[in-house]
Amino acid sequence: MTALSVTGLVKTFREKSGNVHALGPVSIDVPQGSFLCVLGPTGCGKTTLLRTIAGLEIPDSGNVELMTRADGRQPVVGYVFQQGALFPWMSIYANVEFPLRAKKKGNVDRITRRQQVGTILDTVGLSDFSSSYPHQLSGGMQQRAALARSLVTQPDILLLDEPFSSLDTRTSQDLQENLRNTWKEAATTVVFVTHSIEEAVYLAGEVVVLGHRPGRIVRRQTIDLPDPRSRLSPEFTEYLVSLRRTFEELVEEPD
Amino acid sequence: MSWIGSLKNRLPGLVIPLLLLLWWVLITGEGSDTLLPSPAEVFSILVHPFQDQISTGSLIWSMTVSLVRITFGFSLAVVIGIPIGLIMGASRHVRKFLSLMIEMARPLSAIALLPLSIILFKSETLTQFFGMSYLRYQRHLFNEMQLGMIFILFWGGVFPIILGTIQGVRSVRKLHLEAAKVLGARKAFVFRHVMIPSALPDIFHGLKLGIGRCWMVIIAAEMLPGTNSGIGYLIRYSYQLSRYDIMLACLVIVAIIGAFFSKGLEALGEKSLVLRSRER
Repeated sequence: MTALSVTGLVKTFREKSGNVHALGPVSIDVPQGSFLCVLGPTGCGKTTLLRTIAGLEIPDSGNVELMTRADGRQPVVGYVFQQGALFPWMSIYANVEFPLRAKKKGNVDRITRRQQVGTILDTVGLSDFSSSYPHQLSGGMQQRAALARSLVTQPDILLLDEPFSSLDTRTSQDLQENLRNTWKEAATTVVFVTHSIEEAVYLAGEVVVLGHRPGRIVRRQTIDLPDPRSRLSPEFTEYLVSLRRTFEELVEEPD
Repeated sequence: MSWIGSLKNRLPGLVIPLLLLLWWVLITGEGSDTLLPSPAEVFSILVHPFQDQISTGSLIWSMTVSLVRITFGFSLAVVIGIPIGLIMGASRHVRKFLSLMIEMARPLSAIALLPLSIILFKSETLTQFFGMSYLRYQRHLFNEMQLGMIFILFWGGVFPIILGTIQGVRSVRKLHLEAAKVLGARKAFVFRHVMIPSALPDIFHGLKLGIGRCWMVIIAAEMLPGTNSGIGYLIRYSYQLSRYDIMLACLVIVAIIGAFFSKGLEALGEKSLVLRSRER
């Protein structure tokens, strides 16, 4: 089953200095329950790809199709931004509760909300901070909260835009492990954008490498590593080196 | 260098005693022919706020009249200004449509509109407006609330409030709007829970400017012919009777109340700003 299907996606930004062809054409099918990492150097259009999938950008051509759920309803999409997307005037609890009460219809009642928010805060380890405000939390905890906010709706597809890139290595690795475990339990489809090869190899079931602007897929690589993944295993290093080589080639011939 | 720091901290508190000293020196100086009363004379007026002054009523009465006037005028400005600002901030079309009108209306000083407002509202007061004519010959606050006065207060206060609110709504971070969008929030919810909280600090700033303008307008308006109550009236009347001690006491009161207004709104605004500015 394909959870997400992107066909011939092209995106151009109109700026004063002229048009910037940022992306495409890109086509990918993402199977249901898979973990896809979109890997690429800065400015390759990987964020644009993700934003277009989420409906935050309108593509010039091509289209994005999300699989309808088994119960016939529109699929729920979760999105995690790089940083700072929590609402600073709301407590962590209110932030995580936000998507449960903000929808047009089908909002759940207060008691169910309390339960769901409680469970998800527990999962990301923030139960003790539900009444804190974002600015009182460390960067890592803020991103946990942001993750909780997009998981609380039990999304069919979770889109993440370099969510751990502003964190220190230790925190970032903790959160990667946390995310991978969450993904395995929840069985959602994940599309994760990153510029870190190591992060991609640790997380992904499949990696797609985007080349320089305009972003196009230059390589698809399945990561076949057993869980729990070790960053020190020779196989891990092999993937790392192989993808690094692709990266080097991209830098040598930018076009 | 710590004494410089401590001096800097104490300076605001030192300014007022220094000015009083200067005032006192001016009065008592050799060969001084100033008309200015001494600080002590003004002080003795201020410490008897319930005493009738030159048969206009007590200082408290005059103050109350001015304060109730500003309450009505400013509340009207808030109740009308904030919704207009919110709508103009949120909709580009409405903003385009209304901004020319507002930019034309804004430079018209409220005082300049006083004659027009007298023509428009005659000398009607809230007593007539609410149909409570039985109050007419009593000494009641509503008899002092001329509709024209409320109108120009509204005029003085409403534009800073509208502009502050527009600024606030437009300064909502795009990231927060996008976050709300991808979380599936409906428009009304985004407006209430994302736009308004983001806009609050600027709205409070507008309110602060607005109430400052209102306070200036009301004192000036009360000084013009056609009024016979309020602090502004007392300033003019005591001047005419050469009671400069009362006049200066009124100025002190005007200054203190003005500062109280803007510091109060500033404090409220800061409370809402704390959360917006502490993002990382």
